[in-house]
Amino acid sequence: MARYLVRSLVQLLLTVAGVMTVTFFLMRAIPGDPALYMLGDYATTDAVASLRAKLGLDRPLLSQYAVFVRQTVSGDLGNSVVTGQPAMTEVASSLPWSAALTLSGMFIAIVIGVPLGIVSASRQGTWLDRTVMVSALLGISFPVFWFGLVAILVLSHWAGLFPTLGAGGGTGLWDDIHHLILPAVVLGVSVAAYIARLTRSAMLEVLGQDYIRVARAMGVSESRILYRLALRNALVPILAVIGVTFAWSLGNAILIEVVFSRPGLGTTIMKAVLSRDYQLVQAGLLVLATAVVLVNTLFNVLYGIIDPRLRTR
Amino acid sequence: MQSQSPYALEIRNLRTVFPGPAGPLPIVDDVSLAVRPGEMLAVVGESGSGKSMTFMSALGLIAAPGRVESGTVRVGGVDLVGLAPEALRACRGSMISMIFQDPLSGLNPVFTVGDQIVEVLRAHRRISRRQAREKAVELLERVQIPDPRRRLDDYPHQFSGGMRQRVLTAMAIAHEPQVLIADEPTTALDVTVQAQVLDLIDTLRRETGMAVVLITHDLGIVARHADSMTVMYAGRVVEQGSVARVFADPRHPYTRSLLRGIPRIDSPVEGDLMSIRGQPPLPGSVRHGCAFEGRCYLGRGRVDCLRNRPELNIIGDPEHLSACHYAESLHDEEMPA
Amino acid sequence: MTTLMTSSTTKVDPDAAMPATGRFAPMLAHPGLMAGAGILIILVLVAVFAPWLAPHSPTKTDLMATLAPPSLTFPLGTDQFGRDVLSRLIWGARVSLQVALAVVVLSLSIGSLLGALAGYAGGWIERIITIVNDVLLAFPGFLLALAIVAARGSSLQSIVLAVSIAYVPRVAVVMRAVVLTIKPKPFIEASHAIGVSNFRILVKHIIPNATPPVIVVATVSAATAILAEAGLSFLGLGVQPPTPTWGNIISDGQTSIVEHPLISISAGLCIAATVIALNLMGDGLRDTLDPQMRRQTGLKAL
Repeated sequence: MARYLVRSLVQLLLTVAGVMTVTFFLMRAIPGDPALYMLGDYATTDAVASLRAKLGLDRPLLSQYAVFVRQTVSGDLGNSVVTGQPAMTEVASSLPWSAALTLSGMFIAIVIGVPLGIVSASRQGTWLDRTVMVSALLGISFPVFWFGLVAILVLSHWAGLFPTLGAGGGTGLWDDIHHLILPAVVLGVSVAAYIARLTRSAMLEVLGQDYIRVARAMGVSESRILYRLALRNALVPILAVIGVTFAWSLGNAILIEVVFSRPGLGTTIMKAVLSRDYQLVQAGLLVLATAVVLVNTLFNVLYGIIDPRLRTR
Repeated sequence: MQSQSPYALEIRNLRTVFPGPAGPLPIVDDVSLAVRPGEMLAVVGESGSGKSMTFMSALGLIAAPGRVESGTVRVGGVDLVGLAPEALRACRGSMISMIFQDPLSGLNPVFTVGDQIVEVLRAHRRISRRQAREKAVELLERVQIPDPRRRLDDYPHQFSGGMRQRVLTAMAIAHEPQVLIADEPTTALDVTVQAQVLDLIDTLRRETGMAVVLITHDLGIVARHADSMTVMYAGRVVEQGSVARVFADPRHPYTRSLLRGIPRIDSPVEGDLMSIRGQPPLPGSVRHGCAFEGRCYLGRGRVDCLRNRPELNIIGDPEHLSACHYAESLHDEEMPA
Repeated sequence: MTTLMTSSTTKVDPDAAMPATGRFAPMLAHPGLMAGAGILIILVLVAVFAPWLAPHSPTKTDLMATLAPPSLTFPLGTDQFGRDVLSRLIWGARVSLQVALAVVVLSLSIGSLLGALAGYAGGWIERIITIVNDVLLAFPGFLLALAIVAARGSSLQSIVLAVSIAYVPRVAVVMRAVVLTIKPKPFIEASHAIGVSNFRILVKHIIPNATPPVIVVATVSAATAILAEAGLSFLGLGVQPPTPTWGNIISDGQTSIVEHPLISISAGLCIAATVIALNLMGDGLRDTLDPQMRRQTGLKAL
């Protein structure tokens, strides 16, 4: 087990290193002069030259990379070009909002999606199965931001149940939660559709295995077969589904945050993109991708705990 | 209820159908067979002959859209056909058990072997986990797994193929069933291990008086271990009788062809091994007449073979049955050289 | 063949199963697949014949008739610039389907090639490709596409490039997995043994066998591409106005969502219809081509 943990950790570090490298080169993939791009209409030759010097862009690429790595590892993600403040603080302050949204959304998604997937698989072919699957198909086919808009229209404007915009912020915890409910539900229902479909697949795959047939032949009851024998085997694929959708929903949190005008990492990155603040974009991207890698690693460790075969390889 | 029947397992006129484009197709087509306590019945046939399906049907393991249409399956005085699902489940694994072909996939990979045996034990009896574990150790001893107490907590992937089949056998006999169905238990194992598993089954049979049905396509195994045999073709029984009699005097062209195909020490060195030309028909596709007609060496196009399905009739010995219009007059000379 | 396959409790020998009445017969009988294909064909036709089907110009503004409700002249009404919503939706189909097609072609060809190479060649080629893949996979697809578009500026090519790059690793992973299941098969070994060149093996054996899962992945990629393009356009990073795409129509409709909800709603319905069609096709293809594919292609496309 310990060996597996060490391996996961090493993989984590390597992937983060890779993420950093890709982010670095991505930001320098801007064709033409980044400084020119950033200054836009305010570019004069002097301004461009001084910005380049300030950002260290006049140094060779590899030394820029070295500086970047050194700074990032020590927590310095550069300063926002727009505000001049450390990018790290801006990113760090928006992180809790995104975390709250993603975590509550995923919680709702798991609570709805996994049981529906399991029940669908156990009642394959019945009207229940068909209804769930049709609903899930609809769920994955509409863009999540469309759901958001419709939810705002129906539940905020017409029904007046929820606030339409923002995250509260400042008027207390209950107000924050009130603002969180609708976006979290929208995200949750949207992701639940994916989770239900993939959980059903995983369960069906397990239910088709020989050892399930053997258990049935030995007279084990159907409910025990489903909830103990089959589920334990489906747990790793189901967790894999949850892990993948978690990463996916982190990436899509941007869309929800924009629709609901909530603060968060997504909005921060968007604003940075629109104002060509490439240091901030880089910082935000780095933190977001690293968060995804951390989540993935956590799940990998979980798989190792659950499936003994993964450990002894 | 005291069973009056001399048989541990008695299947009569079992018919299982699957829906097809032109109506229901009989996968198991009016199959009858029986086994006495302590005896081994070998069920022989090619792939697709319905041998496995017959016993899956008997145990109620056919899933929709297939279903058992008619017939009876008597074990311990109870007719399994038409039994409510819960009652049927209670019989499975306790009165009648089945082990399957592939031990590698038959054990649940994420549970220990001990857990799985305990699961089967507690499925039919209210005993504590500790008691079940003790019984599990006993069972592993019985199937000759060394160091059973420690091995209880090992996972299936830590066992070899032969040992896994033993574990599955232990699970199958956990409740001392009256009948054990072994569906090609040795096909996926190599020859030395095959012998061990079959010897184990024989030993258990002698010790407990359990009746065994061995589904196989290996006539060598039939000759060595079985008391009686049933030959199946296209979902139907074509010949039945004691192994000695059927081997000595096969009375169905299919059986004759199968036995003829076995090379013998005194066969001529030149010449090809005899094989039966053609393929078995798709299940349920033969609606009229004899199912073997298309490949029968007796000559194709015989009217009664084409039109009338031959019934299982007694040939001499009351236990020897054959389903061929020409069973009485079959002789060696008629077979092609 | 599939009619006799039931769950784990029965195993019918495949040799004894129903005769296959042509390779495409099961596909034609699959209701989901046919429905999906039908919807898709209609959408393609709409996109191709947009100039003739659209009642008005999608970009012509009329500031005297902004946010008009549905009527005979404007079946879905007009937006805040007085443009006909229906025409914009029809023309929007063009962009969305173009992007989907381009992304599928690009990501599938590059991804399959890389994946097949990794799976077949093994050794350090495989390691390099896998490492690069894993790093790219660490980024959520949409996010990566967003970053690339942010770096390169918004344009149709940018979006196609961005979404393709984001999804190439996903296709490569599937392809590699498939190739790895084919490579150890005896007939490949046999081909090596009789001296068939690697290239020929790849082309004649590996690729045809790997094609079915790739086709399934193609449909899922297309669906994801459409949603990604919609998302990017919604954020304002996609195709720029006044060119209509379903994504930016939803975005446009956001400001007038209360007075004229139909704008955003109908654009969303268009996206959904396309994605549903593609998913139905993907599911149907998975069902009819090979049950084993479910495992290989199910999870990977996110």
